[in-house]
Amino acid sequence: MSETHYHEDHGAIADAPLIELVDVRAAYGTIEVLHGISLSVPQGSVVALLGPNGAGKSTILKVVSGLLQPTAGEVRLAGRVVNGAPADELARLGLCTIPEGRGVFPNLTVRENLWMATMSGVPLADVEEIAYARFPRLGERRKQLAGTLSGGEQQMLSMARALSVNPSVLLLDELSMGLAPLVVANLYEIVAQVSQEGVSILVSEQFARTVLGIAQYAAIVLHGTITKVGTPAELEDELSAAYLGS
Amino acid sequence: MQTFLQYTILGLAIGGSYFIAASGLVVTYTTSGIFNFAQGAIAMLAVFTYWQFRWGWNWPAPLALLMVLGVLAPLLGAALYQVVMKNLRGTSEVTKIIVPIGVMLGFQALATWVWNPTSSTPRQFQKFFGPNAFVHFGSIKVSWHEIIAFVIAIAIAVGIRLLFVRTRSGVAMRAVVDDPELLQLNGGRPERLALISWAGGSFLAALAGILIQPMIGSAMSAGQLTLLVIDAFAAAMFGRLRSLPRTLAGALVIGLTTTYVIAYFPSKWTWSSSFRNSLPMIFLFIVLIVLPQDRLRGATVLRLRERFRMPSIRTAWIAGLVLMVVVFCLKVIMERTAVNTLTLALTFAIIALSLVLLTGFAGEINLAALSFGAIAVIVVYHFGTTGSGTAARTTLWGILLAAVVTALVGAVIALPALRLRGLYLALATMAFGVFVSRMVLTERNERDIFGLKFTIFTAGQLTIPKPKIGPFDFNSPDAFLFLCAGLFAIIGIGMVYLRHSGYGRRLAAMKDSPAASATLGMSVVRLKLSIFMMSAAIAGIGGVMMAAQIGTVNSDRFDILLSLSLMMITVVGGIGYISGALFAGIFLIAFVQMLDLTLKKFAVDYSSIEAIFLFFVSVVTVLPATIGITMGKNPSGAVSDIVAGLDQIKQSKPLVITLVGLEAAIWALAATDIITNWHFVILTMVNLFIVPVVGGKILLARAMRGVPKPVPPELIGIDRPFTFDDLAEMDRALDLEGVVVLSAETVREGATGVSA
Ligand SMILES: Nc1ncnc2c1ncn2[C@@H]1O[C@H](COP(=O)(O)OP(=O)(O)OP(=O)(O)O)[C@@H](O)[C@H]1O
Ligand SMILES: [Mg+2]
Repeated sequence: MSETHYHEDHGAIADAPLIELVDVRAAYGTIEVLHGISLSVPQGSVVALLGPNGAGKSTILKVVSGLLQPTAGEVRLAGRVVNGAPADELARLGLCTIPEGRGVFPNLTVRENLWMATMSGVPLADVEEIAYARFPRLGERRKQLAGTLSGGEQQMLSMARALSVNPSVLLLDELSMGLAPLVVANLYEIVAQVSQEGVSILVSEQFARTVLGIAQYAAIVLHGTITKVGTPAELEDELSAAYLGS
Repeated sequence: MQTFLQYTILGLAIGGSYFIAASGLVVTYTTSGIFNFAQGAIAMLAVFTYWQFRWGWNWPAPLALLMVLGVLAPLLGAALYQVVMKNLRGTSEVTKIIVPIGVMLGFQALATWVWNPTSSTPRQFQKFFGPNAFVHFGSIKVSWHEIIAFVIAIAIAVGIRLLFVRTRSGVAMRAVVDDPELLQLNGGRPERLALISWAGGSFLAALAGILIQPMIGSAMSAGQLTLLVIDAFAAAMFGRLRSLPRTLAGALVIGLTTTYVIAYFPSKWTWSSSFRNSLPMIFLFIVLIVLPQDRLRGATVLRLRERFRMPSIRTAWIAGLVLMVVVFCLKVIMERTAVNTLTLALTFAIIALSLVLLTGFAGEINLAALSFGAIAVIVVYHFGTTGSGTAARTTLWGILLAAVVTALVGAVIALPALRLRGLYLALATMAFGVFVSRMVLTERNERDIFGLKFTIFTAGQLTIPKPKIGPFDFNSPDAFLFLCAGLFAIIGIGMVYLRHSGYGRRLAAMKDSPAASATLGMSVVRLKLSIFMMSAAIAGIGGVMMAAQIGTVNSDRFDILLSLSLMMITVVGGIGYISGALFAGIFLIAFVQMLDLTLKKFAVDYSSIEAIFLFFVSVVTVLPATIGITMGKNPSGAVSDIVAGLDQIKQSKPLVITLVGLEAAIWALAATDIITNWHFVILTMVNLFIVPVVGGKILLARAMRGVPKPVPPELIGIDRPFTFDDLAEMDRALDLEGVVVLSAETVREGATGVSA
């Protein structure tokens, strides 16, 4: 069961993948929403999860980040099974997650938000330096409550955390939610740079176009299963079908 | 001027202590979302423990302080979180309120057990450096203790502020409020922060208690101390459980006004000390009313762990009938005292019905059911009786008038609280309850109200005769027993009718989401108001029956702690069920009393091991609270378990017949005096509890081996996971075979693509 489809199809990846899901099932309470997901993310690559609302993309990310325990199957990080590891432990080990639509603490200032990122071990001064260098706008607003930032600025703040804590794995959920196309393109440019530094990235997205520009692989998620995996080019046809919800 | 300064300093010191307790509430609420009703009880335990070390065992003060504040209090708080509060995640607001109340009642009972209040020597608790350690500022004399209290309060205000702003852990505590999951994704440990904050909150409660006890200058009393630090609730609410500066301001205002009342109200106003005692509650009530409403959160409807099923109207009638028959059968074999206990239990069950109506059906919370009972009793005492001496009777009109008055009082309480929900309404009713206890039920003097000479609570006790309704006289114990049983059955059946009506469905909708109900065009205000009034009226009627059964009641009968116990046990029984109310009445009155009497009887019968039985007598006092604390594990209540067990049994005719036959035989033996009532009770317990449980287990095991019990379609996904086979099954049932997009096979095979 552990074969992942694109290994065979393309033979592109020889190394052990950094993130690997093997036949993972997950449920909220007693309602199963993931019915056997197998997927792998090779080191240094970007894999996009695509699919309509409610397909289970966020749930896959929750399982990987440790917020939701799978009810069956295995989650492996760098070859080690991490089922049952708490999210905070994984975070301190170098897994950085930007959750859906709410990557910041609204009642904390920008600086305090960055302070929270230091729990993975990077000193505050370094975090601030990296964040303000990349997003000067945040530097101007370090005393402002994060809840009062604009949507784009909030997303910058959460990206700043992802950049500064030096992760080996980055999980991004709907980076584009509620943002102008230009801002989205900008953010994904940064994601591409980060992946070039060797970070493995799993990203869930509704806006297929933007993310397919930087993703090496994409998986289509429908009703809690992965129906197709491939390179962006291969998936062109499937995508329209998936979004029409056939 | 000198008096003014003197009292100002005292007020600041007392207010400072309130603040310390309140800040503990803020800290724990911040990190765990649980309002710690047990804060006062922790303070009380700390005061008693400190007394034990310091004066009981003559330890030096620093050592005693270190032990209590540095070791025991934080440990207690941490243990409380780890063992009890942590389990409350995902439970309803009611459970989150009831469990800490259970802790509070448990500590209360524990303290009364360990430090027997009736022991001969009164316990003296002194200020720091003794009662004569004063500093003189010009002409005024200030005790060191008061200075210390105020300085510590300020230091703590500053300290917590620094913690929250200048330390990463403190900022993380604030982050927990915003989003615990995000904090985890950052690598933080929300659980550990909550644990630390509960340890800290408990430390603050203990500190507040030790500071405040000698300043209020009365003897140590577990009940009084527990409620005293509850006064800090008002301050915490003033800061909306968030803002520390506002909390400090609120606490100081309360401290100052209460001392000024003592200082400046003319001494001939006999009510001023009652007024001083209820002032924080009045303050709390006002704060709750003017408090800007928290945004209604319609979007985040949580899936709660509680589930209630309403019986059909037919079942309700049958159950009512069965109740009457059972009561009759019991009456035949029971002694007079037992009949009295059963009647009292039923009157409490009626009061508990008011809670089922309000909380179980409508999701609102009333923590002061007995205070409504008290008001009804006052009305009946003054306006609802005829005749005198042994011929005195309560009239039907008296009871109805009492119901109307309590309903109106209910409206007055609910109207301002209508915007509030959950915790805030609970606190508002609690404020009302404490107010009634401290202000109304202490009114023993004749007042001249608008030219009308009037004594509210005459001589500290009121005599309520048994009712006579039309030609029916319920003076005899048996007749009154049937009246109470009948009343319970009728109100219960009425409630089932109500629940099945459109009104009942609107209530259920409001319980789920007030915001959505309002959007659908329901008048949430009318709905809430009417349900609150109805509930208050039922509590009033139950209260009158309770008083009539007891005969002469004093104010202790309506104590807020008793209201809290009743609420807690009703939740334990199952707040969504009529039978939950019956469970509460029987458990709280009959069962606890029976255990108590049995153990005491054994203690006399077997005097050589008397101590063991007396130990268990004390255990029984802690029992209800202990059961309340376990609610976090089983939020649907005991009745739901019993119902589930009965469902199993009902499947097996032979078992049902055996049970009923056995019970009839046991009853016959008791009725013909072949066995005593003790044996009857014990055999009945065995028959009704142990046999079904064992039988049910066997049945269940057999069922497991065979075909699993089918889950009704509407509960698929709730009782067990929803699978693709279910989907296929459902499609088949609906003749949708051709439309299926994802069959179980395509799903299992994984990436085979989507069939068009
Ligand atoms: N906390 C929860 N409790 C119960 N069910 C949930 C919960 N979160 C998600 N679900 C359900 O799980 C399924 C998958 O949800 P998920 O959030 O993973 O979808 P998604 O693919 O991320 O959708 P979107 O594109 O809208 O973000 C949905 O049917 C959703 O209703
Ligand atoms: Mg999502």
